[in-house]
Amino acid sequence: MPEPAVEIRNVVKRFAAHTAVRDLSLVVPRGTVYGLLGPNGAGKTTTIRMILNVIAPDSGTITILGQDSTSDSILDRVGYLPEERGLYRKMKVRSILRFLAELKGMSRRQADPLIDEWLERLSLKTPDKDWGAAKVDELSRGMQQKVQFIAALLHDPELVILDEPFSGLDPVNSQALQDTIVELRRRGKTVIFSTHLMDSAERMCDAVCIIANGDKVLDGALADVKAENAGRTVAVALDGAPSSEIDRIFADKSLVERVDDSNRFFEVELQPGADAQELLRAIVGSGARVKRFELVQPSLHQIFLERVGAKGVEPGISGHG
Amino acid sequence: MAKLWAVIKREYIERVRTKWFIIATVFGPLLFAALMIVPAWLTIKTKSAADLSSTVILDATNTGLGAKVSESLRGFGSGPERVPDVRVVAPSALTEAESLATAEVMRKQRSGYLVLDQQTVAGESARYAGRHASSLTAMEAVEDAVEKTVLAYRFEAEGISAEKARELTAGRLRFRTERITDEGRGGSGAISAFFGLGIAFLLYMSIILYGQNILRGVIEEKTTRVAEVVVSSVRPETLLAGKVLGVGAVGLTQQLVWVATVVAFLTYRVQIFNVFGIPAPPFVMPGVSPGDGLLLLLFFVLGFVFYAALFAAVGAMVNSDQEAQQAAQPVMLMLIAAAIFIQPVTFNPTGGLATTMSWLPFSSPIIMPLRLTIINVPTTELIGSLIVLLLSCLLVVWLAARIYRVGLLMYGKRPTLRELGHWIRYA
Repeated sequence: MPEPAVEIRNVVKRFAAHTAVRDLSLVVPRGTVYGLLGPNGAGKTTTIRMILNVIAPDSGTITILGQDSTSDSILDRVGYLPEERGLYRKMKVRSILRFLAELKGMSRRQADPLIDEWLERLSLKTPDKDWGAAKVDELSRGMQQKVQFIAALLHDPELVILDEPFSGLDPVNSQALQDTIVELRRRGKTVIFSTHLMDSAERMCDAVCIIANGDKVLDGALADVKAENAGRTVAVALDGAPSSEIDRIFADKSLVERVDDSNRFFEVELQPGADAQELLRAIVGSGARVKRFELVQPSLHQIFLERVGAKGVEPGISGHG
Repeated sequence: MAKLWAVIKREYIERVRTKWFIIATVFGPLLFAALMIVPAWLTIKTKSAADLSSTVILDATNTGLGAKVSESLRGFGSGPERVPDVRVVAPSALTEAESLATAEVMRKQRSGYLVLDQQTVAGESARYAGRHASSLTAMEAVEDAVEKTVLAYRFEAEGISAEKARELTAGRLRFRTERITDEGRGGSGAISAFFGLGIAFLLYMSIILYGQNILRGVIEEKTTRVAEVVVSSVRPETLLAGKVLGVGAVGLTQQLVWVATVVAFLTYRVQIFNVFGIPAPPFVMPGVSPGDGLLLLLFFVLGFVFYAALFAAVGAMVNSDQEAQQAAQPVMLMLIAAAIFIQPVTFNPTGGLATTMSWLPFSSPIIMPLRLTIINVPTTELIGSLIVLLLSCLLVVWLAARIYRVGLLMYGKRPTLRELGHWIRYA
């Protein structure tokens, strides 16, 4: 078992007025796509910045790829796409990519062929037009996003950290980004991305961590997270109209907390501690014919709302998660 | 180290490539040349332009002085053969003649009139009235002609021949000053003061121009948010150092080009002035010993680092150019305060003011090089001032790096002094 891609232990970061990250510990296994989820102002960006040693934690330790995050050249093996994206406006695209590659420890000779390869792959260099020779100013917003994306991946990093990568992307670029993330994982790279879009996280992540108000709410492999949070919602479908007996069972407050009644289809939320088997027995005992009885896996979206909803977003906090 | 080099390279190349830099570097020396050539050229031009031949000389001396003055003004007219007319008038009729001449000048028949009377013969006064009254060269020519003629007349009255008189009055005293330093005699005093002023001004301009350049660079990195990508690869301290060194190198490049061009211009000034048909003004190259040159460079580099770090810290505190104007004011004030004292220090380079300003780190990078070129600064003072400057640089860079590190990723309200204290403590 290789050392994890990222290991955060008891990290705390306070700003003047509030605590951005409170005693956070998490482990990102190698070769996974890891989602850092949370509402705005939860501490996502602060956590990411601490992983990248852009800001220092007040206490706690962070290890990247087995090395301390403050050690000298470890960041050369990490690619980063910040939430707030920008480039030097007056620089030529090729020079800026070369510069950012040099900052990652690449030589010009190593970088140049890769830059062309990437420009071609993202159709910034076609037989008609080479945008690499253009100034950043002349590029459209979408093209600039592509350039930033190249900058994050050019040095073939083992760990890629993307802060809200989908925000501001059009559907085409969004799909391209998703494909790239999948491809990176296939090549054994680790990808961490933060988002508040639960469906993209659910589709792509192997593991997630939900944070809110600087606290970790839950973390783990996506399947485990779902399993742990499953078990209280049951989907029931009956053959024929429900009898009054069924109505009585669903009204039993010792068993059922709430029912979404769609006549023949019911979404039943059990009381905490109630056993789904008991519900099934009661329904069968009433003589009804059961067409479907299923413990529903909640969506990440539901888990998020349920677990974070109560804590909510601290009022008055804005800016970067 | 490779990353620092990458940052330096980017800062340097991106600036040297701009049109602004090329224009300033090329046109700076051209401007200097123009400043030297145009006044000389204009002097010659105006000399021939002021036509004194249409002046009328009202001679009330009864001695024929007017005719002689007229003769010595030959050449100050539209043609070499033309000389001012002379009207011999009786002293009693002078007032009337003057009002007549005034009317003629107003009607543009005459350009002016010159009054010669008994006081002129006595060597006391003469009067000119007319259109050329504010032309310095024309008036100098008239004054010179009257003075020489009167002098010759008075010599003749003492029985000295006109020939002899001219010989006696021809001499013109030239006053020259020369510096003596530890290395021996070196160049003229006036020229080294001129040179010192030039150096001080150059340093001041470079620090202002390139300090603000750094300020704008930091703001650009903040507003475009490129800073975050960069500091995820290099430490903010490295970025700050690379910026200061890269931009400093740009300033140094420009200065070297300027100094080299000026030296070349002064070396070949005779040939250059010949092209314009102007006699080259006398000029002795100031002797700068290699040791002095090194000291100048040292003061420039340290002074630049001192101010550049401050400007970078200001840049990290603000979010827009407008805000920067305000926030940079304390830094600018220090610089301007140093510049204000350039002139008094030039006049009295050994005084208490000069000494004090050479010790203070915010003014020593400008004042010390100035004094260095004018006088021999005591070695202890020189070394002391350098040490103070160096220590201040270290302190300022340390403070700036902390402000920079925190400020670079802070958006929103500008920090108060108290918050700034927090930044410095917790960075």
